[in-house]
Amino acid sequence: MRLALRGGRLLDGAGDRGVHDLYVRDGVIEGLDLGGEVDLDVDAAGRVVTPAFLDLHAHLRDPGQEVKEDLASGLAAAAAGGYGPVVSMANTIPVVDGPGIVADLVARAARVEGARLRPAAAISKGLRGEELTDLAALKAAGAVMVTDDGVPVADSRLFRSACEYAAALGLIVQTHSEDPSLRDGGVMNEGAVSQRLGLPGNPDASEAVMVFRDGEVARLTGARVHLAHVSSRRGLEVARWLKAGGAPVTVEVTPHHLTLTDECLRSFDPVYKVAPPLRTAADVEALRAGLVDGAVDSIGTDHAPHTLAEKQQDMLSAPFGIANLEVAFPLLYTRLVATGSLPLERLLWLLQDGPARVMGWPAPRLEPGAPADLTVLDLEAEREVDGTRFKSKAKHTPWQGEALRGWPVATVVAGRLVHGEG
Amino acid sequence: MIGAAAQVPPPTPPAAVARRHRHLLDFEGWTAEDVASLLETAEVMAQVLTRPVKRVPALQGYTVATLFFEESTRTRLSFERAARAQSADVISFAAGSSSLKKGESVRDTLRTIEQLQADLYVVRHPSAGVPHQLARWTAGAVVNAGDGRHAHPTQALLDAYTLRAALTEAGLPPAERARPFAGRRLAIVGDVEHSRVARSNAELFTLLGGEVVLCGPAALLPRELSRLPGVHLTTDLDEAARDADALMALRIQRERLGPRRLPSLAEYVARYQLRERHLEVAEPHAFVMHPGPINRDVEVSSELADGPRSLVERQVASGVPVRMAVLYALLVGKR
Repeated sequence: MRLALRGGRLLDGAGDRGVHDLYVRDGVIEGLDLGGEVDLDVDAAGRVVTPAFLDLHAHLRDPGQEVKEDLASGLAAAAAGGYGPVVSMANTIPVVDGPGIVADLVARAARVEGARLRPAAAISKGLRGEELTDLAALKAAGAVMVTDDGVPVADSRLFRSACEYAAALGLIVQTHSEDPSLRDGGVMNEGAVSQRLGLPGNPDASEAVMVFRDGEVARLTGARVHLAHVSSRRGLEVARWLKAGGAPVTVEVTPHHLTLTDECLRSFDPVYKVAPPLRTAADVEALRAGLVDGAVDSIGTDHAPHTLAEKQQDMLSAPFGIANLEVAFPLLYTRLVATGSLPLERLLWLLQDGPARVMGWPAPRLEPGAPADLTVLDLEAEREVDGTRFKSKAKHTPWQGEALRGWPVATVVAGRLVHGEG
Repeated sequence: MIGAAAQVPPPTPPAAVARRHRHLLDFEGWTAEDVASLLETAEVMAQVLTRPVKRVPALQGYTVATLFFEESTRTRLSFERAARAQSADVISFAAGSSSLKKGESVRDTLRTIEQLQADLYVVRHPSAGVPHQLARWTAGAVVNAGDGRHAHPTQALLDAYTLRAALTEAGLPPAERARPFAGRRLAIVGDVEHSRVARSNAELFTLLGGEVVLCGPAALLPRELSRLPGVHLTTDLDEAARDADALMALRIQRERLGPRRLPSLAEYVARYQLRERHLEVAEPHAFVMHPGPINRDVEVSSELADGPRSLVERQVASGVPVRMAVLYALLVGKR
């Protein structure tokens, strides 16, 4: 199988490589401007060709909640969003807490057209926070990360043990840093808006307290701890302090925490209900500053699909989560890059080299021999978000109808065109 | 009898309210003028209720549905009486008696109810925001009868109606029609955090020109509410009562307050029960209010609740005319 991506501007972490025809053969990049017969041509003229994005944080709901998402729909959604490797979270039914489930996911994903599945496994059995999983067996079965994401690990001793095992095994630990008792029954950010609306609040202190614990345990054990979906100024300040002190932590932020605030909840629409919650404009400013100054290491989606019926329950009953794999790049490009507050190169870094570095994977490059995981971006054409056309089973989105630029028009994974047309 | 009822002239439609508002969800977007108009309509309705035939044909042909996802016999009956006194048909839906199951969305429930073709839905729900959600989905009008901790606007309206009348009778009529509480202070005492009554009253009394002091134990008194214009907070009941024109005690719902929030009920009673001595530091005419039902000798001493300054029974009585005015304003405006 040989592909040519013709006439695109080649951008990767090494810089602007100019306008070229990029050739792909048998799953790897073959070279530039080689000519010769190809099986498929992809028109990239006037567009940007760049390594496919890496998402270290997606809820694919498979097994057990296929009504929300499954491997096929989730990996197709990721491909449509320009993603190559996607780390799937372990809070499925049953929980990904044994090597058999990991192996089954890997085997089934190999038969699915779309992004590459890189499964995470649970820290505790059943995500109950009581018993450690067998981290070595999970890693051997193909898990690339351990996390109880969706549920904070309340027991600090258990978290420490997990970090000790993970450090020895070279596994990445991803946290869900919220203190459960401070979070209490909170369904949105605690502050002037939650008090005005009479909705139970989840204070930023719940995040800051747990980021501190998670970071100190990382320092104590030497485990590489990725602080998922940091949402607040205070949480990020604590993470900065930890990093400055040499703790082996990295920081993830999400597209929704970078673009939405708790003011959205004035609509009482559970489409905005997410954990950790949407914070204030000051928090958004702080997270955006962190993208520029290096406090943030990666942007992960925390893609968390639910059915429309679940999201049309009341604010107390509706589940937490926003499905965003298919809008992440256009959203961030339009709001941050097109407005001049973030250079394109930096946004790409946070979606490519940043997450690769967090995982200890090679930085993705447009060089001969590198895996052919590529995305073609149209930075010019403006299109309205239309959730009904999502590949994800979650067709509702906070950004419905918003005009965005920067759409991924083609995605190549392992040398195959998995999104867009040849 | 119907003929006699028909001779009672219907009140002038509060046209401005009807034109500007399809729903009553909270007081967001409501002007003091809109509220003054509603309160005046309620006065006319109160006169209707003193007649031998307590019924006008104003809402004949309309259907009002009461959707109560949370128990409240008193509020539901008050709304149903208000609808029937204007000859509307009434449909009652109580979640407890329905097949409402976990996982069924609020929207699914509405779809079912909408088949009954009501013109107006009176909604109570344990979650804040459900009336807003329903208002997005239905062509009918929505009246919020209490949603979680968020709002209970008809309670605030009947409190304002009651207090305005009591002040007038005490020789203190409002100086301005649309700002009847200018220069007045209302102290609200109790579990402010969990109280939709406190939030709606704070919103409405300040809209009508008054000042509101919210008072309660620190763990139940959200600091952020002090950002609302005209609203002050204090944990000291003596300070809250000082120079107040009315003292309103909130119902303590013991089931909501575990020992992590409140050390004991005795501690609450000792520090936050409204007593005679609080009236002594308030204005000489100060009134005692409570949204009911009262936990006697918990939030307020029986002496005060049953005393000459108590408006508690008048608050209950005001419920029907005020709700009549709300239903009338929202339905007749759509005609």
